[in-house]
Amino acid sequence: MPPTTIYVAPPRRALEAPSAAVARDLARLFGRSAALAGVSLEVEPGRCVALLGPNGAGKTTLLRVLATLLRPTYGTAFVDGLDVTTHAGQVRERVAFLSHAAGLYADLTARENLAFAATMLGLDPVDARQRVPEVLEAVGLSAAADRRVAAFSAGMRRRLALGRTILGRPSVVLLDEPHAALDADGMELVARLLAAWREVGVTTLVASHQADRLADVIDGSVTLERGLVTDITGTGVRVPSEPLAVPVGERVALHAAEARS
Amino acid sequence: MTEVLTRVLGWAGLLAVAAATAYALFGVPADLNQGDAQRIMYVHVPAAWLAYLSFGVTALGGIGWLWKRDLRFDWLALAGAEIGVMFTFFTLWAGAMWGRPVWGVFYQWEDPRILSTTILLALYIGYLLLRRLTDDPVRRANRAAVVGIVAALDIPITHFSVEWWRGLHQGPTIGSPERVLDPAAPGQFVLTLLAMLAAFTIAWAYLVVRRYQLAAVQARVDEAARRGSLAAARAAAEGGVPRVVTE
Amino acid sequence: MTRDVAVALALARKDALAELRGRVATGTTLFFGAIVLLLFGFALGPDARRLQEAAPGLLWLAIVFAGLLAVGRLHEAETEDGALEQLALYPVSRHALYAGKALAGFAAMLVLGGVLLPIVALLYRVDVLAAVLPLAATLVLGAAGFAAVVTCYAALTVRMRSRELLLPLLVLPVVAPLLLAAVKATVASLAGDPLGELGAWLALLAAFAALMLIAGAVTYRFALDD
Repeated sequence: MPPTTIYVAPPRRALEAPSAAVARDLARLFGRSAALAGVSLEVEPGRCVALLGPNGAGKTTLLRVLATLLRPTYGTAFVDGLDVTTHAGQVRERVAFLSHAAGLYADLTARENLAFAATMLGLDPVDARQRVPEVLEAVGLSAAADRRVAAFSAGMRRRLALGRTILGRPSVVLLDEPHAALDADGMELVARLLAAWREVGVTTLVASHQADRLADVIDGSVTLERGLVTDITGTGVRVPSEPLAVPVGERVALHAAEARS
Repeated sequence: MTEVLTRVLGWAGLLAVAAATAYALFGVPADLNQGDAQRIMYVHVPAAWLAYLSFGVTALGGIGWLWKRDLRFDWLALAGAEIGVMFTFFTLWAGAMWGRPVWGVFYQWEDPRILSTTILLALYIGYLLLRRLTDDPVRRANRAAVVGIVAALDIPITHFSVEWWRGLHQGPTIGSPERVLDPAAPGQFVLTLLAMLAAFTIAWAYLVVRRYQLAAVQARVDEAARRGSLAAARAAAEGGVPRVVTE
Repeated sequence: MTRDVAVALALARKDALAELRGRVATGTTLFFGAIVLLLFGFALGPDARRLQEAAPGLLWLAIVFAGLLAVGRLHEAETEDGALEQLALYPVSRHALYAGKALAGFAAMLVLGGVLLPIVALLYRVDVLAAVLPLAATLVLGAAGFAAVVTCYAALTVRMRSRELLLPLLVLPVVAPLLLAAVKATVASLAGDPLGELGAWLALLAAFAALMLIAGAVTYRFALDD
């Protein structure tokens, strides 16, 4: 059984900007279909915000843009005041992202997977040796630590992937459907993690279509539908107050308008 | 203004190529050993030169894009690659036409230049294929730039390797194309070749400009389509069109 | 800098561990190379002299074909469970990621060459023992250049649907001079270098490897990131 309280270390970097994450008229197209059609929102530091909406609403795309995995087609996105396109490296030092896929290596054990992640995240070896068992304990995988991930169930992989998000002591955590494939204990684990993160001042953005699972822990929520924000409730998240600095389309227009002949 | 200049360039290229070709066909005497077949050199050599020039443009366009993040460099790279492939193919074809009467074969494995030119063709056909298989303009420009730069670096290495392959101790093939540029060759032949080089280069510049302009128009059309889909998506989302409820 | 080295080594070590444990992939690639060598023998007929003469070319063709699978797989393995995006998310320099992947590819190529060379010796009755050092030098330099190119191009194509076709199509023309130089160096090694040309071919292989490693390191981030 996982412990009832989870030790989550404070972030390595305290956020400096007044907003943890900002999206301004963010649009992303895949071919001709718009996954995001112009999303603007601002998340306060240290809050836990839910991203709600049906499948295909653009939740995953929004998280992936914030995580520097996808380039916005139009508009801009910032994490801790850093543009995700131009300052991707610095954004990556602050963000942890839990994706649909666990992103684990099946032929490595749980411990080896985390040890590899620790090196890539820049933990020093002494620190890593101490943190890895802690994290395994926290996500309830101590007993399975030296088994290969290939033998893990989907839920165990999910737990291990969750463990990886703690490992690097991020200041912003982006979780995409964290409840997927988890049993009751696992769901409990997610809830405790979210609470622990909030306690140490980590900002969390959780995409989910199961709003009720998050009701107890979140400060506020954003609802996306068809690539647009349709509703914002609670605290910690709002439509950006400043006038839009970068109008839709300017980025590509910079390139495209040059075709004077 | 640009359009007028471009047209002037086009007409200049056409007239120059026509005049130089007429002279190469009827003005300059035939080669004593090779006969009229040698006249193919007057298009073969300029085509090869322009192929290399084009791929240079592709590499520089790629570097420009990666450095400045301005898609115009990518359009230039595309223009270079397409026109370069055309001239490379033309080089090989003209070489084969020359090789048949002079060497007795269309494709001479003994000649290093034929091999390096064939590899060149393969390199840039791959480049164009990669471009076709990528839709997103930025991603396409990134991928193309990587391949364009690596391919350009590969050209001199390929050149040396096949030169040496012929045997490190053998002289150049007798009667191979470069003999035409030999300063010992009669001045008239050299002059004709230089005229053809100049004429072809003007025509090439026109083609590059036009292909670049076409890429620019294409990019604008794509951009308009993207904005159109975005606007349509927004309208659909905001207009309360009945949506499919999932889960 | 030390962090970059640590990252590159950790990545290469992870790849080596996963490939050794996975076994299926490594074994299959080696087996594929061996089968290719066997089929070349069939295609060229039973004349032992002819096989001996063709042996260097066939060896390197087998190394190139099997190497495309072996090195390409290192990127493909990252996509099996979405690990590639986690890799892209780590706050590490792209040079270090490239170095790690290229190092793993280099190791895979060395294993491949080390297995296929004795097979060539056995199947085609070529005496490789007399020329072990020059052959090893050829293999090391050839493997480095090959891994440098394929690593960069694999990152480029790994997220494309037609990657299995596109990767060889893009890589093969680029490695044509490497193939040529490696074959020539192998011929020279086996013959005891009568013309004194081995050094030139090895230098060409080294130049190829150096150029492609630099190009790969510089451009890898554009190949990897969206």
